[in-house]
Amino acid sequence: MGKQYEIPLGAQHISLLEPLHFKFTTENEKIVDTVANVYYVHRGIEQACCSKFKFRQVSFVVGRVCGLCSVSHTTAYSQVAEKLIKIEVPRRAKYLRMLVIELDRIHSHLLCLSHVAENSGFEALFMKTMQYREFAMELLEAVCGNRIQYDFSIVGGVARDLKPEVGKMILERLKIFKPQLDELVDIYQNNWTLSLKNKGVGLITKEDALRLNVVGPFARATGLAADVRNEYDDLLPWKEVGFEMVLDKAGDVHARNMVRLRELYVSMRIIENIINGLPESALVTETKTFPDGEAVARLEAPRGELFYYAKGNKTQILERLKIKAPTFSNIPAMVEAFKGNEYGSAPAIIASYDPCLSCTSR
Amino acid sequence: MNRIETSIDKVKDDIRNFYKPDLYHFVVINAVDLGEKIEVQWFFCEYANPSNIIAFCVQINPDEEIPSIRDIVESSWVAEAELVDLMNIKIQNTAKGFVLEPDFESGPLRKKK
Repeated sequence: MGKQYEIPLGAQHISLLEPLHFKFTTENEKIVDTVANVYYVHRGIEQACCSKFKFRQVSFVVGRVCGLCSVSHTTAYSQVAEKLIKIEVPRRAKYLRMLVIELDRIHSHLLCLSHVAENSGFEALFMKTMQYREFAMELLEAVCGNRIQYDFSIVGGVARDLKPEVGKMILERLKIFKPQLDELVDIYQNNWTLSLKNKGVGLITKEDALRLNVVGPFARATGLAADVRNEYDDLLPWKEVGFEMVLDKAGDVHARNMVRLRELYVSMRIIENIINGLPESALVTETKTFPDGEAVARLEAPRGELFYYAKGNKTQILERLKIKAPTFSNIPAMVEAFKGNEYGSAPAIIASYDPCLSCTSR
Repeated sequence: MNRIETSIDKVKDDIRNFYKPDLYHFVVINAVDLGEKIEVQWFFCEYANPSNIIAFCVQINPDEEIPSIRDIVESSWVAEAELVDLMNIKIQNTAKGFVLEPDFESGPLRKKK
């Protein structure tokens, strides 16, 4: 056994977007053990939701849990609240929720991919990916009014309708994005330099993913078929709009890149199908009922399974709200996937997890 | 959501008999402050039938220690560490200080008396 060194990475580090801290134990540059600390930004949102805000206001509060997957939080919360007040959401509202979730997935996946490129030392690819991502931000602004933290899903439905000209613009912009995405796939898949940094790096197997309950693209890149969109057809009809699960087997950084890129094609197809087949109905189901009993909802956010538990007590204020973010589930696997890798690969591995500490600590 | 009511003495055995990593996905552990008691809930869902969400539920006194399930569900340590800090629940072999700083007031999600 060689001499072991402990090397800290974070909470402030040039390769990190968010405040997390890893303490690596290394032996000849190889990581042999990792300790993670992911709770630098606990904000007490669950407590605020159960004490300071009425249950209809909570969807706006949980939209601030995360800037990247805001619509996933507001939709998951709205679904759980709708179960507590026992209402059915109008069909058009369900379709519009799926539309914004998929637009959000496009920008979130491209952000993750760009940072993997940057942390792998490929700055030009980072720039290109971020450049191509911009169209998704502009479309989200056109649909929701905001580039981030769009208060789109509300309890009972959605806050805004899709204007026909915006729908047309989305379809046109998707046509422009398609060859850009083909170009990105070609680079991420075939670039020799990038492959040296990403192939066989940060590996976990399907058995590890099952054992450690991994979720999202992190799990699907190992071959584990875990995607809430494949499961819940009652709350949002994903299969009706062309959802198809994307899997890989390699389980390394490269496989995670490829799963995210291939999922963008699925997202594009879903968005096109939604706009071409948008049903006519009201946008919101109104009710004056107060939440009662307990309910859970799961939703596939860009990083994986988002879980909400809520308990009502027939008043405006919830008794309990529990939020489980995807990164929270992936922490044990994140720690494990570093082992045996070079310390120099750690930044790319971290970016490939697509961690969201804002969601995790909430 | 399928609630399975059990007791603090039996919950670990119940989860051990139930949990198969290739069949069930461990979601999270939650706790609800009921006033005199705290309800702890271990959530799982089935890979083959994911709309089937199973919650093992136990009501405990606030000062009772609950068993850790990390020898059954290896990844549960994060959820256990979070509960210890945010709900001020005692969990076997789980120290404070993962979610909150050690000098922070324990159990911010508990109801104020």
